[in-house]
Amino acid sequence: MKRIDLEFDLVVIGGGTGGPMAAVKAKEKNPKLRVLLIDKANVKRSGAISMGMDGLNNAVIPGHATPEQYVKEITIANDGIVDQEAVMAYAANSFDMINELDRWGVKFEKDETGDYAVRKVHHLGSYVLPMPEGHHMKKILYRQLKKARVEVTNRVVVTRVLTGANGEVAAVMGFDCRTADIYVIRTRAAVISTGAAGRIGLPASGYLMGTYENPTNCGDGHAMAYHAGASLANLECFQINPLIKDYNGPACAYVTGPFGGFTANSKGERFIECDYWSGQMMMEFHNELEGGNGPVFLKLDHLAEETIQEIETILHTNERPSRGRFHEKRGNDYRSQMVEMHISEIGFCSGHSASGIHINARGETSVPGLYAAGDCASVPHNYMLGAFVYGRICGENAAEYCAERPLVDYDAGAAAAEEARILAPLGRTDGLTPFQIEYKTRRLVNDYLQPPKITRKYEIALRRFDEIREDTACMMAGNPHELMRAMEAHSIIDCAEMAARASLFRTESRWGLYHYYVDHPERDDDNWFCHTLLSKGADGRMTLAKKAIEPYVVPIDEEERTAYQRLRVARSAEAA
Amino acid sequence: MELQTLSIADRLASPDAEVRRLAVIDLPYSDEDDIVPLLLPRLQDSDATVRTEAVRALEGYEDAEVVEALAPMLLDPDAEVRTAVGLVLSELKESASAAPLIPFLSGHSAEVRMLALRAVRALRVDAAFAPAMDALKDADAGVRREAVGVLGYLRRAEAIGALAEIAARDPDHEVRRIAIGAIGYSSEVSVLPALTRALSDVSWMVRDEAAQTLGKLRLGLAIPELMRAMQDDYWQVRVKAARSLGLLKATAALPSLMEALAHPIGNLRKEAAIALGEIADPRAIPALEKALDDADPDVRKLSRLALTAISLAQK
Amino acid sequence: MTLAATPTQVPVQVDNDKCIAEKGCTVCVDVCPLDVLAIDMLTRKAFMKFDECWYCLPCETDCPTGAVSVSIPYLLR
Ligand SMILES: Cc1cc2nc3c(=O)[nH]c(=O)nc-3n(C[C@H](O)[C@H](O)[C@H](O)COP(=O)(O)OP(=O)(O)OC[C@H]3O[C@@H](n4cnc5c(N)ncnc54)[C@H](O)[C@@H]3O)c2cc1C
Ligand code: SF4
Ligand code: SF4
Repeated sequence: MKRIDLEFDLVVIGGGTGGPMAAVKAKEKNPKLRVLLIDKANVKRSGAISMGMDGLNNAVIPGHATPEQYVKEITIANDGIVDQEAVMAYAANSFDMINELDRWGVKFEKDETGDYAVRKVHHLGSYVLPMPEGHHMKKILYRQLKKARVEVTNRVVVTRVLTGANGEVAAVMGFDCRTADIYVIRTRAAVISTGAAGRIGLPASGYLMGTYENPTNCGDGHAMAYHAGASLANLECFQINPLIKDYNGPACAYVTGPFGGFTANSKGERFIECDYWSGQMMMEFHNELEGGNGPVFLKLDHLAEETIQEIETILHTNERPSRGRFHEKRGNDYRSQMVEMHISEIGFCSGHSASGIHINARGETSVPGLYAAGDCASVPHNYMLGAFVYGRICGENAAEYCAERPLVDYDAGAAAAEEARILAPLGRTDGLTPFQIEYKTRRLVNDYLQPPKITRKYEIALRRFDEIREDTACMMAGNPHELMRAMEAHSIIDCAEMAARASLFRTESRWGLYHYYVDHPERDDDNWFCHTLLSKGADGRMTLAKKAIEPYVVPIDEEERTAYQRLRVARSAEAA
Repeated sequence: MELQTLSIADRLASPDAEVRRLAVIDLPYSDEDDIVPLLLPRLQDSDATVRTEAVRALEGYEDAEVVEALAPMLLDPDAEVRTAVGLVLSELKESASAAPLIPFLSGHSAEVRMLALRAVRALRVDAAFAPAMDALKDADAGVRREAVGVLGYLRRAEAIGALAEIAARDPDHEVRRIAIGAIGYSSEVSVLPALTRALSDVSWMVRDEAAQTLGKLRLGLAIPELMRAMQDDYWQVRVKAARSLGLLKATAALPSLMEALAHPIGNLRKEAAIALGEIADPRAIPALEKALDDADPDVRKLSRLALTAISLAQK
Repeated sequence: MTLAATPTQVPVQVDNDKCIAEKGCTVCVDVCPLDVLAIDMLTRKAFMKFDECWYCLPCETDCPTGAVSVSIPYLLR
C-alpha cells in the first residue's frame, strides 16, 4: 500500500450517468481545467445504466408536453414537497439534452421523417421516448470523455470529501480496491454522482447483492456528503419499488402498461388504477399483498401474441437482460400465466422518489464547492435524463466556481484519521467480516425500518445500529476487495441511521407507503408542508430541521392536488 | 502477466491476430488520447476479426479520414466486416460526411446500396436525393425501403408524388407502410389522396400508419375517411383513427367515438375517451358518464379526465 | 476466533477452452461493476473470485470469445 497524492481542479465522484456528463461539460466550459472522473467500478460498464436503458421515462418534448405541465405533475406526484425551481431547471433543459445525446449517437426511436417517436403513457406532462439500442449508452459516454480529455481513474473507492478552514471543498480521499493504495486528491471543487443508496435494505430473497439498484451504489455519496457537512433532504421519503418476486428487475407494469399489462391480485383482478410508480401506488400494492388478496402479479396473459413478443424484446434486452433467463428457469411464460411480484427493499433514490443530498437549481449543496447530481441528489423523479441534465448543470457551475477559487489546504488531522480508518480492517487478522456486519445491518433495516413505520420499532433499530457501529471496531478485511466491502458497510450503517432519524422527525404520514407512519397516520399540511434537512450537528450527531417549501413557479389548484388520492379501483366497479 | 506490460502500440502490431484484436478492443478505454491514428492501419489488417473490431472502435469518430477509409470497406470480402461498417456508417451525423458515400448509392450489390442509403439518411444531403429517387425503382425491396427513408428525412416537396406512388403500388407492404410514414412531413393537401387511399390498403399495418400520419399532419379534410377507418376490421387501426380524430378535434366524429367507448377492446375504449376529452363537446357527457362504470380502470380514469376537460372547456 | 471456509457454487462459469486471458484479455474482469472476477495466475484463465454477483451480464456480453456464462444465483432460481 502506498499513498498517492494528486492535484486537480475538479474531481467528479462516480462515473455512472450524471458523473461523465458533469466531467465532459466542465471540460467543455473550460478546457484548461484539470478534471478527474473517479469510479469504484470501471466507467466502461458502471452504474445504473451499465447495460443500457429501455428509454427515457420523462422526456419533456415540445409539441407533446410543456415544462410547466411537467413541473405541475411532479409537484402533485410528490404531495407538494418540491423545489419547483429545481424541477423546472430539469424540465426546461431536458429537450436540449435529448438533442445533444442524439448528436452523440444515442439512438432514440424516430418516425420515418426523423421526428422523435414519443410514446404516450397515460399520464400528463411527460412522455416515454424509447431507445431501441439503449445498450450502447456507456460506450457513447466513454467516447465523449476521451474526446473532452477527461482523466479517468477506475477502481478507486472514494470515502470522504475533506474540507478547508471555511468548510469549503479541499480534497477527496479514497483507496484502490485492488491494491489498497490510499488516494488524497486536492481539488477546488467536487461533484458527487454516486447514484442511489440501494444497499440499505435486504431484498426479500435474502440475497445480499440482489438489490434493485446496482449494488456498487450503496450510499457512499450520501455518507461522504453528510460527513463533509452537507444537508440531505427528505430522507424519510424512501424508495420502494414493485419488482418481480426474487428477481430485481422492475416487474414493469410500468413498461407493459401502455401495452395493456397491469398489476393484479391473486384473483387476477386489477386493484389499482395507475401503475405509474408512486408512494400511493406502493401503498395499494402493500395493502393488497398483506390484506389477504396477495400475492400480487403482473398480468399479461390476456394480451395478443405480437404484443407479448414486443414486451419481451423490450424487457429482456436492455437494463436487466438476465430477466429472460430467470423466467426460463422458473418456467414463467407471460402468455400462459401471471408473474408473481413483490416489494423491493427500501433505499434512497431521487431518480424514482425524492430524497438525497440537498441541492438547488444550480446543483449546489450546502458545502461551498460541492455539487451533486443524479440519483444521490434531491431533485425528485429525475431518472436517467435528469441525471444527465443535472450532471451538466453541476459540471458547468463547478467549472465556473473553480475558475475563481484557489486550492485550499485540507485539514491534515482529518486526512490522517481517514487514512487510519480506511486501513484499520486490513490490519486485523481476526474479527467480524464485512459480510457479517453488512448482512446484520440490512437484516435489521428490514425488520424495523420497512414501512409501515412505527416509533417503537425505529427506536429499537437505532439502538441496534449503535451496537453494530461498535462492532465495526473489530471488522477485518483479508484483501483490498474485502476492504471495499468493509468501507461500504460503514456507509450502509450511516444511511440506515439517517433513514431512521429522518423518519422519526416527520411526525405525519406522506407519500403513500414511502412514509407511512402508523403513529401519525394522517397527512398534516399545517405542520409538515416543508422539506426536512438532515445534517451533522456541532456535537457530531445527526440533527434535523424543517425547511420551508420554496415559492412555487407553477401554481397548483386544489382539485389537481388530490389527483393521486384515488388510485384504488372502486369496489362497485370491480364487481362489474 | 507479460502481455499486460506490453504497450498498446506493441500489442496492436503483434504477429498474433488474437492479440491484435484484443488490443483494438481495449484501445477506446486505454489511456491513449488519440485513438484514430492507431486504428486506421488496423482497417487494412489481414485478419477479418481485427478489421471488424477496428471498424466498431471507430464508431462516433466522424473525421473525414475515418469516413473516407470506412466507405470503401462496404465492399470488404468479409460479411461481418461489411455489417459492422454499415452500422458504424449509419451513426454518422454531419452532412460533410456524405461525399464518400454517394458513389455507393448506386451500382454494386443490393446489400451495399442498402447500407449506403441507410448511412446517408440522417445526413439529409441534397446529393442523396437523385440516387434515392432512382433507388425507388430498385428491384430489391430492402433498397427501396431505405430509399424511401432517405426521402422521408429529406422532406422535399418534389418527392411527394413519387412517395405517394410507392405507397399506392409497391408490391412490398413494408415499403408501402414506410412510404406512408415518410409522407408525414408535408401537410400539403396533395398528400391527401395517397393517405386516404392507404386507409384501404390490403395490409392493416399500412392502414394503421396512414391513420396515424393523418393525425400527425392535422389534415382536417380527412375526417370523413378517418371516421370510416373507425369501422376497420382491425382494432389497431381504429385506435390510431380515434387518436387522430381527437387531435383533429373532429366534432363530426362524436357518434363513432361514443360507439367505440363501448367496444369490447379496452385499448380502443381508452383512446376513444381521450379523443372525446380533446374534442370537449358536451354532447359526449352521457356516454362518458356511462364509461365511469367501465370494467377497465384505465377507461374509467380517462373518462373522468375527459369529463373534466369538457367542463373546463365550457368555463 | 477463527474464520469459516464455507464453499458455495458461484453463478459465473468460464469455459477455459474459450478464454484467451493469456493473450492479454481482461475484458470480463474490467467490466464487472462489483469486481468479483479475476484472472487466475496459474491457469491464466478468468474465474469468479467472490460470490457477489448482480447478474447484470456485461461480463458475458462483452467477452470476445463467448467464454463466460452467467446463471441466476441458486437462491433466486
Ligand atoms: C434497473 C433499473 C432500470 C431503470 N430504468 C430506467 C428507464 O427505463 N428510464 C429512465 O429514464 N431511468 C431508468 N432508471 C433510472 C436511471 O437509470 C437512474 O436514475 C440514473 O442512471 C442515475 O444516474 P446516476 O449518475 O445518479 O447514478 P449511476 O449511473 O448509478 O452512477 C453511480 C456511479 O457511482 C459509482 N460510485 C458509487 N459509489 C462510489 C464511490 N464511493 N466512489 C467512486 N465511485 C462510486 C458507481 O460505480 C456508479 O458508476 C433505471 C434504474 C435502474 C436501477
Ligand atoms: S473476457 Fe472472456 S476471454 Fe477475456 S478474460 Fe474474460 S473469459 Fe477470458
Ligand atoms: S453478471 Fe455482473 S456482477 Fe456478475 S460477474 Fe458478471 S459483470 Fe460481475
